[in-house]
Amino acid sequence: MGWRYGKWTADHDLPVGASERVAIGERVNAGDVLAAGSALGTAIRVRGAKRLGLEPDDVLRVLRVTIGAELTAGTVVARTGRRFARAVSAPIDGRLLHLGSDGDLYFAPIVGRWVVRGALDGMVTRSDDAAVTVEGTAWCLEGIAAYGPDAIGELSLGVDSPKEDLAPMRLDVRLGGRIMLGGARVSAEAITRAHACGISGLIAGAANASGLRVVYGEDVTARGAPARGDRPTVLCVLGSGTATLPREIFDPFGVLAGSRAAIHTASARLFVFAPPDAVEIPRVAETVALAADYGSVRAFPGACEPAGEATFASEVQAAAVRCGGELFPRTNVRTTPAEA
Amino acid sequence: MTISAAPEAPVEVRLASERPLKVAIFHGRDPRSRASAARAALGAGAEIVETVGSDDARSFAELAQALRDAGPNVVLASARSAKDADGIRESLEALRFGCATRQPPPRVIALAEPKLAERIRTAVRPFPFDAFVDAALVIGSLRSLRQRADPEATLRDQLLEDAARSLAESAASDALVVDVSEAMTSCALARADGTVEAVHAMGIGLGVAADRVVARAGIDRVRRWLPWPMDTPALLERVFNRARWLGAVPASEVALAIEMALAREAIGLALREASDAGLSIAAMRAAPNVLVTGRAAAFPRAAQTLVVALDGLQPTGIVNLWREPDDGRAERVALVAPVTTRRSATLRLAHAAGREEQRVARGTIVVAPLRGIVEISGAVRGFGDAGALGIVIDVRGRPIALPHRDAERLPALGRWNAALGVFSGPR
Repeated sequence: MGWRYGKWTADHDLPVGASERVAIGERVNAGDVLAAGSALGTAIRVRGAKRLGLEPDDVLRVLRVTIGAELTAGTVVARTGRRFARAVSAPIDGRLLHLGSDGDLYFAPIVGRWVVRGALDGMVTRSDDAAVTVEGTAWCLEGIAAYGPDAIGELSLGVDSPKEDLAPMRLDVRLGGRIMLGGARVSAEAITRAHACGISGLIAGAANASGLRVVYGEDVTARGAPARGDRPTVLCVLGSGTATLPREIFDPFGVLAGSRAAIHTASARLFVFAPPDAVEIPRVAETVALAADYGSVRAFPGACEPAGEATFASEVQAAAVRCGGELFPRTNVRTTPAEA
Repeated sequence: MTISAAPEAPVEVRLASERPLKVAIFHGRDPRSRASAARAALGAGAEIVETVGSDDARSFAELAQALRDAGPNVVLASARSAKDADGIRESLEALRFGCATRQPPPRVIALAEPKLAERIRTAVRPFPFDAFVDAALVIGSLRSLRQRADPEATLRDQLLEDAARSLAESAASDALVVDVSEAMTSCALARADGTVEAVHAMGIGLGVAADRVVARAGIDRVRRWLPWPMDTPALLERVFNRARWLGAVPASEVALAIEMALAREAIGLALREASDAGLSIAAMRAAPNVLVTGRAAAFPRAAQTLVVALDGLQPTGIVNLWREPDDGRAERVALVAPVTTRRSATLRLAHAAGREEQRVARGTIVVAPLRGIVEISGAVRGFGDAGALGIVIDVRGRPIALPHRDAERLPALGRWNAALGVFSGPR
């Protein structure tokens, strides 16, 4: 919880079918293409080892193309023998996907293309078929859950106060390509309108849980739903329902507005690419507490005071703390560790 | 954690941290192969993240993508015939394609006859491979993988099974332990002969897994147990907030009611998984001794634990109900007598202070505040210790039918809760 300038890593999982990707050690910026590949149709399995008269382990040795190569139908993929040649050729236009353990070859037609873009300025530290990892420095605000694909854009304020909800009528196409701060709550209407207007992503203290189910599907959970494709991006900073952002979180947005930013949904983080001295973060503890009925998450300035053992309205007896004159179970309160 | 069936001798043990072991099940066309793999995975407390049948309709690339996204630590391949094994080999190719670069690589465990396991082995390279004929050995292997980080620590599910065994031994009859914690729900049935059938459903619980209970059971199934009106969006927001807050304590009655509703559905989901894995839910529901543990046993009132166990488990026979919270001692809660009748029934209760008759009407819960050993006769027969709450006669029938309309359901829930003293009073 809270803003921090430091070194971060961002993992970008790749879909199957990657054909090109950045190399380890390469410098990339948020928004750069890290990997590209093809969406694949139904694969066709072609006998390889048996047709070539080889042991499965020897098929790789006689392949004339690399696994993953894009081929046209009829391309000779492997060939053995001289006078009485045995060959395997591509049955369709597409890609040679995979060499099976029994020496069979899998071909699949290309039905689309995909690219994965970075969400952090920095150096590539891992790059393989499954994922690309980037390590870099940035201002970071860690949320609790994010939904949709990674988003990159200019940071912009959609509300004037942390208590405000983001009104859908404030969103229009002129804000396209930006990442908007949405205050205490964003609704499904604001999420879908923002997406329709080409807004890259929304950040808010909380999002309406039913709205998230409307937008992302019934099986969406509180853990977030990183996704690919053309879908809205939402970062929830504190919880579900309504959550007013503490001043320590909200105020820096005013200073950082206009900076380049990215939402990395897999780690639920907002990265803002601004100089380390761009913001002065107050050195006071930030405390958030889960409301007694679980309906919201509330922020309190400073740390809370221990209040011994207490019996709550539910008759539960637990260690308590007093935050802003109100009693909370100790386990329902979180304070920024560094300052606490 | 402290668990023991004997209230005099609690045992302190160090529990292993619960990092879920993700399991993908590959099975043949025979439904028994899926059930036996699921039984092994659920018995070992592993989380089933993907199930792939030999006749899976997904394309090779789709299957590879699904397996990459699921990221299983273990693939459990269950085959009962050569045809099954061949089907599994094809699915394993998708695993090789999708997860080849995964570190550490997924381990493939075959649950099959040696001949079939050998057929599967050739398609497994370069992943590590084990083969077992017996599901019990698979459970042992999966548990050792879960314990790898801390071999000295005890797994919660092992402890629950020990508790079930010890309760069954002391009662000389079947005993069921129902455990609902933050992220796991277990039902462990120990027979009087010492055998145990258990389902430890990871990712189902009343805390950090609450959102997954809602995603799997449906928000309306959770909402139907709330004794006060609450609309679906409001409940969903509360569940999502609870799911993000590990170890949160319900400070209000509303929050407590939500956790109780989640616990009921968590037990229901665990039983459904047990049924899918071929375990006998009828035997679990008929167990004469039931011990509730975990967060479901830590509700402030014993009646709250009782009502969760009654609604979630829906026992069919006379039950001696116990509860034992993680940091407390075992407590005998009540003797539950479920009665199924068309209109009304009469029960005769014989106890140390005399005899009495209870006439009960369909759709009600009646509490007879007796103490000590009570013999029940009439509509149902049995005996046991009445516990702290006394004899609870549940005449709601099986399965419990809740009215759909709030206007009918809320008064019914209110009456049942009032009969048991679940909440402090009308809100």
